[in-house]
Amino acid sequence: MRSIVHSTTRAAWGFCVLTAAILMPALVQAQSADDAQPVKALTTNSSGALLVLRNSGLFVIEGGTTTKVGLPATDQEAQPSSLARGADGSVYLAGPGLGVWRYDSAGDSWQSLNDTLPGLGVTAMAAHATQPETLYAYLGKDGMFRSRDSGAEWVKVDSGPREPVQAFLHSDMPGSMESGWLFAGTIRGVSRSMDCFCFWGDAGDLRGTVSAIGYDPTAPENVYAVIEGQLHHSADGGETWTSLKTPQPVTALAFSPSQGLVVGTANGNLLAGGAADKWTPVHE
Amino acid sequence: MNRWFYPLVLLAVPVLASASGRPEDADSAPTEVIQGRQIYEQYCAACHGRQGEGAANWKKPDDKGEMPPPPHDETGHTWRHSDAMLYRMIAEGWRHPFNKSDRLTMPAFEKRMTAQEIQSVIDYLKTLWTDEQREYQKTESQ
Repeated sequence: MRSIVHSTTRAAWGFCVLTAAILMPALVQAQSADDAQPVKALTTNSSGALLVLRNSGLFVIEGGTTTKVGLPATDQEAQPSSLARGADGSVYLAGPGLGVWRYDSAGDSWQSLNDTLPGLGVTAMAAHATQPETLYAYLGKDGMFRSRDSGAEWVKVDSGPREPVQAFLHSDMPGSMESGWLFAGTIRGVSRSMDCFCFWGDAGDLRGTVSAIGYDPTAPENVYAVIEGQLHHSADGGETWTSLKTPQPVTALAFSPSQGLVVGTANGNLLAGGAADKWTPVHE
Repeated sequence: MNRWFYPLVLLAVPVLASASGRPEDADSAPTEVIQGRQIYEQYCAACHGRQGEGAANWKKPDDKGEMPPPPHDETGHTWRHSDAMLYRMIAEGWRHPFNKSDRLTMPAFEKRMTAQEIQSVIDYLKTLWTDEQREYQKTESQ
């Protein structure tokens, strides 16, 4: 009897080991495939955690732990593409076919802010750096819209730069006639305006299609823009630009309170730092 | 010709003109607007143009690396600023932060104009805007 039990146990263990040996490479491959998806957008939340948007969904990375966040239940045609952090730490998600949504972390739910937008074709959005209720959305030919009441009412304020806007940023860099500056990444480079929408002018002579833009909130003259995977830095509010070396093409960027500049890459990696071209992986 | 045609035209033209959203005629304006225009012509027109048309190529830095004086009419962005901001810029002056020089390209007028005179200039500038722009600026001023 004991020998029968012993051989059954050995057979069971053998089966488990064999199954694991077969499945493990597939599981590892699946994880790699997920990581290999380009990072579409990055931001931080009120606790400083990184939020990473990939084709496979939205992920929160905090303390080395990654948690998946469900996306708003919308039309299958919706393309989540922009993340923004409000001045109060609120997280916003936007994209063509999606409009603008705010994440409620307490209820783990999304609130649509689209009631008064003329459509859902939001190709870029930004949140005011210091005014929690002020948001900006760019809807292509419909122009630029601003809400001063957290998305309840949107008002068209401008047509925007001459070229279509791909990425949008509000900065509290000093020197504005109003409360800050707007940077728009277009298909021609970076365009800049005071947030009175006085007029859009070229921010330096950086040329190309800008896919991501960000700034250092602790030193607002430092602006970063990505053109075709190449990261560029301006230390004077967009007047002049220099290229930064990165190990992989960059697709998204954000500033983390604890890690500083964080970039997302075409290979799906997250890299922090960048001082003296040294980058360290952000552990997920 | 229909005998009603000319009276209808006479009635319709002023209505259409006032509904066009065009800038107002300052000549038939209140006293403060007329005063504002006189002060504007004395202090502001030399740089911003007699009709508020601004400098040519005002959107690009000039040879000195300074942003030229912008228009104050409907083609500019003056209408995007609140009364308080316009008052501050006239009183304290302004320098575009990306100018290559450090001087105030828009001089401070608080020692040359009274508060009432500055306000009358702002009232005059509003006559150079469209109805939509005046409405936008009114909201910004609230």
